[in-house]
Amino acid sequence: MNENISRLMDGELEGPELASVLAALKQPEAHRTWTCYHAIGDTLRGEASGATVPCGLPRGLAVRLAAEPTVLAPRRTPVEQTAVWGWAAAATLAAAGIVGWTAFSLVDDAPAAIAKAREAGSVRAAQVRPAATVPSDYVLAHQEYSPGGALQYVGPYMRAAAVQSGDVRP
Amino acid sequence: MRQPLLQRYRLAGRLAPAALLLMALAPVARAEDPAQWLARAAQAARQLNYVGTIVYQIGARVETSRLAHLNDNGTELEKLVSLDGPAREVVRSGSDVRYYYPDVKLMKVEARTFRNAFPSLSAEQQRSLAQFYDFRLVTGERVGGHAAQVVSFEPRDGLRYGHRFWSDAATGLLLKARILDERGEVVEQFAFTDLTVNAKIDRALVEPSWPVTPADWQVRQGTGGEVKPQDTGWTVARIPPGFAKIMEGFRKVYGKPDPVAHLVFSDGLVAISVFVEPMPPAIATMGPSQQGGLNGYSVKLDDHLVTALGEAPGATVRQIATSVQPRR
Repeated sequence: MNENISRLMDGELEGPELASVLAALKQPEAHRTWTCYHAIGDTLRGEASGATVPCGLPRGLAVRLAAEPTVLAPRRTPVEQTAVWGWAAAATLAAAGIVGWTAFSLVDDAPAAIAKAREAGSVRAAQVRPAATVPSDYVLAHQEYSPGGALQYVGPYMRAAAVQSGDVRP
Repeated sequence: MRQPLLQRYRLAGRLAPAALLLMALAPVARAEDPAQWLARAAQAARQLNYVGTIVYQIGARVETSRLAHLNDNGTELEKLVSLDGPAREVVRSGSDVRYYYPDVKLMKVEARTFRNAFPSLSAEQQRSLAQFYDFRLVTGERVGGHAAQVVSFEPRDGLRYGHRFWSDAATGLLLKARILDERGEVVEQFAFTDLTVNAKIDRALVEPSWPVTPADWQVRQGTGGEVKPQDTGWTVARIPPGFAKIMEGFRKVYGKPDPVAHLVFSDGLVAISVFVEPMPPAIATMGPSQQGGLNGYSVKLDDHLVTALGEAPGATVRQIATSVQPRR
């Protein structure tokens, strides 16, 4: 299925094949995933989508996205941003959400859609710096005095929570 | 050219009520003092009742969460629930913050003072804001179904990151925010994909899913909270222009036996923390670290470990870390 979605992105499908993939997209869960992706993508890119559905990435997908970081890194050129970013993420999310793979199988076995995304140039390995992790207890302490780490007016501990979730020491 | 323009901003700020009325009539750009604009966003976040879904990107990570905020006669009740990954949640009641990690059966309690929500800036900080950032205001965009006012702080030197904020034109609440690096690339951002402001918030939405922490969970008391202002004996020789020290003292940090010296420098928009601790026995990671819009730099100074950390480019954080020295 993921292969088919990937081909759909590339406009390679036609006839009965196209019809069957489009039919699969009509399944409620698949369609919701699809709609959510668009809402999230549009919001992050700054385009008014008009969609205000409450969306969550399918469970486990964050792992997938973390493994393919640049999929969600917006590009500077608006045209590229829409075309490449959009399709790449769509392919990723669609493949993951619709097929319903677990995080593990996704990590172990990169779907064809990801490969397509790479080819499309949205994955810029050079930009993914394998930087050391910022010490999380220091992040928490810093957070308290940072006037505008800015992302913190709303849910001031959001960054701390995000940082910590990857670094919980029971 | 800049000065008269800024003066106009200030004048407009004093005419804020009239401007608000105008804004209700037409989506015109409302010139305002940047500090006032920031204060309004912070105030809205504290005072309003709202519920919505947030997409948060920090470096390579993307997370979606549900956030509900209730102003209960001045006490803020707030809950952030992760929608992807393990069903973790953060619940705040006033300054008491609890992190629930059901997947590892852990609950962490932290006392937080949240001074970060834009306290009134000193005159010096306000000047610094205008001197080191270009402040621009745009209207007409929409985020999560809300008309937004966009404010951008473009750095005038390479020592700072760019910041862009989208606030709800009607209430001032932040709908979206971005940190942009030296190349203009987004390094950290959040956005509401849906948001209801002035909603009737059901109490259950801001209460923990575990009213009583299960017996087999580990409970960890955090070490956050108030730091008593105090001379730590440390100083930073090369503070980047525009930054001023806003706090200095000792704090307890989880897992560290000795109190850690903590100094904070701010340019009015962001802060850089400096931590100095006795060199830990285990080998510490030296050099740069990075997480989204947050850069860190650790360096050995005699028998101490210095770590600087803040929302600024790596070079700025490094300059601070490497110029820490004992006060003479």
